[in-house]
Amino acid sequence: MTEVVVDVRELRKTFQVTEREEGLAATLRSFVRRHRKDVNAVAGITFRIDAGEVVGFLGPNGAGKTTTLKMLSGLLHPSAGEASVLGYVPWRRENAYLQRMTLLMGNRTQLVWDIPAADSLRVLQEIYRIPEAEFQGTVKELTELLELEELVHKPVRNLSLGERMKVEFAAGLIHSPRVAFLDEPTIGLDVSMQVRIRRFVAEYNRRTGATILLTSHYMDDVVALCKRVIVIHRGRLLYDGPLADLAERMAPYKVITATLHDGAAASTDLDAYGTVVSREEGRVTLRVDRQVAPERTARLVNDLRERLADISVEDPPIEEVIDRVFTSEQTTVSA
Amino acid sequence: MIRYARLLRLFFRTELQYELEYRLNLILEILQTVVVTATSVGAVLVLFSYTTVLNGWDLGAMLVLLGCFYLVQGFGELVLQPSFEKFMEHVRLGTLDFALLKPASAQFLVTLRHFQVVALAQMALGAIVVAVGLGRIPSVGAFEAIGFPIALVCGFALIYALLLALSTFAFWFVRVDNLMALYWSFMDAGRFPVDVYPGWLRVTLSSAVPIGVAVTVPAQMIAGRLDAIGLGFLVVGSATAFYLASRFWRLGLRSYTGASA
Repeated sequence: MTEVVVDVRELRKTFQVTEREEGLAATLRSFVRRHRKDVNAVAGITFRIDAGEVVGFLGPNGAGKTTTLKMLSGLLHPSAGEASVLGYVPWRRENAYLQRMTLLMGNRTQLVWDIPAADSLRVLQEIYRIPEAEFQGTVKELTELLELEELVHKPVRNLSLGERMKVEFAAGLIHSPRVAFLDEPTIGLDVSMQVRIRRFVAEYNRRTGATILLTSHYMDDVVALCKRVIVIHRGRLLYDGPLADLAERMAPYKVITATLHDGAAASTDLDAYGTVVSREEGRVTLRVDRQVAPERTARLVNDLRERLADISVEDPPIEEVIDRVFTSEQTTVSA
Repeated sequence: MIRYARLLRLFFRTELQYELEYRLNLILEILQTVVVTATSVGAVLVLFSYTTVLNGWDLGAMLVLLGCFYLVQGFGELVLQPSFEKFMEHVRLGTLDFALLKPASAQFLVTLRHFQVVALAQMALGAIVVAVGLGRIPSVGAFEAIGFPIALVCGFALIYALLLALSTFAFWFVRVDNLMALYWSFMDAGRFPVDVYPGWLRVTLSSAVPIGVAVTVPAQMIAGRLDAIGLGFLVVGSATAFYLASRFWRLGLRSYTGASA
């Protein structure tokens, strides 16, 4: 039986923001009398995450991802709704809960700039009351997984962004948390460092069985790490299910790419088969309704015969699917 | 409690290591402290070459007071100034979140986190000046000897409480550096006994900026000018100030966790 680690029910967070128009007069008016407006950062979301899952939390800027993570880590009180993580109510901020969770933010550091990370790790050992043997074991494991050897002994200010992020991971995971909330952990990193961080997260999850909820703007992170994704937009849940099914549910079309032999791609009329998205050299890309895709493909092969060098039928790229979800107003789809 | 003492030692040790790395800087700062202290002791000596008593304070008591001033100011610079500066930076950058996510008192983790080790030199010099001043005071009784460290700790607590209350405004206004700078400049006034100042300034220094109390009362204590009731008032007063400031800080914290996105 799997244990439910994160249980969120109808969680809401409403912020009050002061609104004012541009210009001095408007500024003065608003100084006297402020117009307040309610903004629903999170407008009632419900989901559950089982122990050991790695779930991708997707949404455009301002969708409510970070607000949700902050509520789940206990930094924010919700306006309404319930949440339980490892059986604790996060915003009560009980030490027993804080001892078992971590929040890592890609754009913020908890390390002290002027001193080496090794010293910060010692401080964390004392704060979390980690026995020496266990501490040594964890440091050894994290050092090996993240290739930290040299890094922990240099002052943090001398590290590159990528190196700092690796050390940040070590600091955030030193107490072996059962739940990790990762907010944009690869933001600003170069591609090879992104790959290494991803590999680390996957391996860490495999070794420790920790439950991970991750937000990222890089779809590669999500594709590499998460079997399941939760998509939110304007504070509402749009999709919760397998990453593999996201395209099927959210993008009702397939992409057919046909390569023609004689360079006749520019002249051949293919509009009858589907919507032509692009034509370049000998290659034509068509968008075709999901239901009719097999039949159109067969016709295309049949009609073009030997002029056809290659043909492929695929789901649209995940970025495109996500973009489609965010630009169109769709109702909730749950898997 | 033991855990917090160990944490404090750890905070201190890491910062000590850091400051030891910049040896020349450390030596220069210690030199500067010595020069500044010597100058103000010199000023007091010059003053007392014209008079023997300043509003009831003779040279010995005056030196004790100056020593207390350096002890209290040194304490402020040792841990409070660096920690509170970092605290306001944390509020601005949003990194305060990390302190709130730790299974320990956030107030402790934030307000006693950073040390400026060189300020120890100032405290040491302060202790020396107190000792020299005591040499000129005929006798120090048991009550005075026991009361002095208590009064001094109360002085530290008062300064801590005031800074904590002031910095709490950072939760709402984010930038309160100027308020803190104002405070540090008021601090300088503490090197003279609070009762030499005119009434309005005396009230300001003692109540709004309890530096007057924090410095003068310990000095009065050891110079035999304070009774048990006065000491009692000081203990109760500083405990109350500490409690209220902590409550206020937690109130500010609640608005921080209630609003930050």
